Amino acid sequence: MDTTGNNANLEKFFNPSSVVVIGASNAAFNLGATICKTLKEDIAFSGDVFAVNRGGEDVHGAPGFKSVGDIGRPVDLAVILAPAAVVPGFVRDCGENGIRNIVIESSGFSEQGTDGRRLQAEIAEAARRHSMRIIGPNCLGILDNRNRFCCLYGANQLVQKTVQKPGTVSYVIQSGGVGGLVVERLMEDLPGVNKMVCIGNKSDVDESDFIDYFTTDNTEVIGLYLENVQRGNKLMAASLRCPKPILVYKSGVSEAGSAAALSHTAGMANNDAVFEGACRQAGLIRLRSPEELHALPKMFIDMPLLSGKRIAVFTNSGAFGSIGADLLAETPLAMARFTSRTRESLSRLPGVFNAGNPVDIGPALPEVYLQIYDILLSDPGVDGLLHVVGMWRDYVADVMSELVELCRRHRKPAALFCFNSMARVRTARAEKNLPLFNTLEEAVRALVVSHQQFHYLQKKEKKRGRAH
Amino acid sequence: MEELIKKAARRGQKTLSEYDSKQVLGAVGLPVTQEKLALSQEEAVLAASVIGYPVALKGCSDKAAHKTEMGLVKLGLKDAAEVASAYAEIVDRAAGLDGVLVQEMVSGSREFVLGLTRDPQFGPCVMFGVGGVFTEAIRDVTFRVAPLTTEDAEEMLEEIRLAKLLDAFRGSPAVDRKALADALVEIGELGCRLNEIAEIDINPVIIRGSQPVIVDALMVLNGHKP
Repeated sequence: MDTTGNNANLEKFFNPSSVVVIGASNAAFNLGATICKTLKEDIAFSGDVFAVNRGGEDVHGAPGFKSVGDIGRPVDLAVILAPAAVVPGFVRDCGENGIRNIVIESSGFSEQGTDGRRLQAEIAEAARRHSMRIIGPNCLGILDNRNRFCCLYGANQLVQKTVQKPGTVSYVIQSGGVGGLVVERLMEDLPGVNKMVCIGNKSDVDESDFIDYFTTDNTEVIGLYLENVQRGNKLMAASLRCPKPILVYKSGVSEAGSAAALSHTAGMANNDAVFEGACRQAGLIRLRSPEELHALPKMFIDMPLLSGKRIAVFTNSGAFGSIGADLLAETPLAMARFTSRTRESLSRLPGVFNAGNPVDIGPALPEVYLQIYDILLSDPGVDGLLHVVGMWRDYVADVMSELVELCRRHRKPAALFCFNSMARVRTARAEKNLPLFNTLEEAVRALVVSHQQFHYLQKKEKKRGRAH
Repeated sequence: MEELIKKAARRGQKTLSEYDSKQVLGAVGLPVTQEKLALSQEEAVLAASVIGYPVALKGCSDKAAHKTEMGLVKLGLKDAAEVASAYAEIVDRAAGLDGVLVQEMVSGSREFVLGLTRDPQFGPCVMFGVGGVFTEAIRDVTFRVAPLTTEDAEEMLEEIRLAKLLDAFRGSPAVDRKALADALVEIGELGCRLNEIAEIDINPVIIRGSQPVIVDALMVLNGHKP
């Protein structure tokens, strides 16, 4: 499938040169006004911003008009925050005035019974007639840190901060709350947010369209939060086209199989079991918690993918070495068996208590850390490293920066977790951009998903090869 | 084979009988039990002697989805006398049978389930898992969206919790994985090709030696389509 046309259509959602907020006014608690304020006052959006309201009044410095037709200039994007009943009329207005991209943030559509479904169908009809692309209805909006554009309603000072730090992870979020979670957490983490789009009821544009879009832009990792999948085969096809890691958390896993099913097969086929199969088949990395949406992307930023299953654990705490080994035992990964050469090299170093796996050291100099990294990553029986370390001196952060370099050179990843000295850990994360995980479980999961992505990439290449 | 399904759907049948279901599966190359539909006691005894003892007898009808519960299944019949009396007992219990199925007994301790369902969002989906009477209690199953590649099917075999059952096990040889994977691919093809099939249950598939044999099967038809 050619996705170029699709992507060109979507570009204006993230990078419009002019925006009209329909329904923005100076009334108390007006949600449209919060978007005008964000764009005009908080993030210094470089394009034009207009407001449409009954009185035609200006809102936070955005020139006001009584209707879209009165603006008299081409507009790239319309954001609609008006009562559901009047939205179809506004959509038609936009169509007749040449606006091709619309975000409908109002609620009261298919999520609210028959009348809402009828209104949503009216919108879809208008969109078809004028070849418009629509995000929503019932959504929070869009954030693009790189283009400094944001039409999230009710956004706070957070947005001012997040646009200062454009990142490389892009999100498609079905429901707004999870959007706040990932944006806020990634402000204090290595990768940062590139773009985030909330898709709500996805009457037109859906997660698959955005996977295609993020496949070609400067995104490095894609995160999805989904509540339902309406077009399963479209999602699978988009995923198979995309070589970037796609992390997906889906809620609603408890939905039971059809009670009317006559066969046992249909009885056991709840939507979660089928979704799980589809993810494995199409190479979507399924997450276990919404937190993993922001915790795991850093594994894909600077680190090579884990190409095998054999992990060396390296620690300066015997306890955490054992815990790490236990956690690995519950995954498809395995503890590496070192070559005798590795064992000999390790046992010659000062401060090494255990030259087997997990490698355990006492107080040691930075050079010893570096030598151990090199010995472990050079062992042909080691595919990756789980480094569990107490940050007992500042230099631990320095040697870990070197480890990231060594990993690239050896084409083997390391997952890092520090179990103490949280102040030092925060500094290391902020100043040295270290991919430090918050828990040992997260670090182990990072290795698991890294290997999963390695496997998925091979599978996708094979499936694409067959399609040609 | 397609004619069989289309005709049944036109007649308004909700399901195909075990015999018809296996006719369809056998026609696309899946390994089904050797069996014959007998319309009289004499035919049953004759069929049993051709197939070879021991045999199983099952009352056969598209309305008999729960044959065991209805007392329509007699297993391990060792001679002509047992077959004759089992036949009489079955036809006595249920009216309107298509006939009585005389079937080879397949012995093997490993049982699997294969199936097809239609998901509203993903379309036809193929299932593989641990089969037998405890299938739903054990719930060790996995799905893929049809059509399947051979690799998709092979992955399914390895990802159930009890995947070890496929290896050499307590004196039995390793299961012919290729035969199982081919069957899964073929079930997906059926689902893609024939909209009249709503669901398929193939349970149990008994492993005889290393080879899977389909011992029971049920096809549910799609009543909504003309």
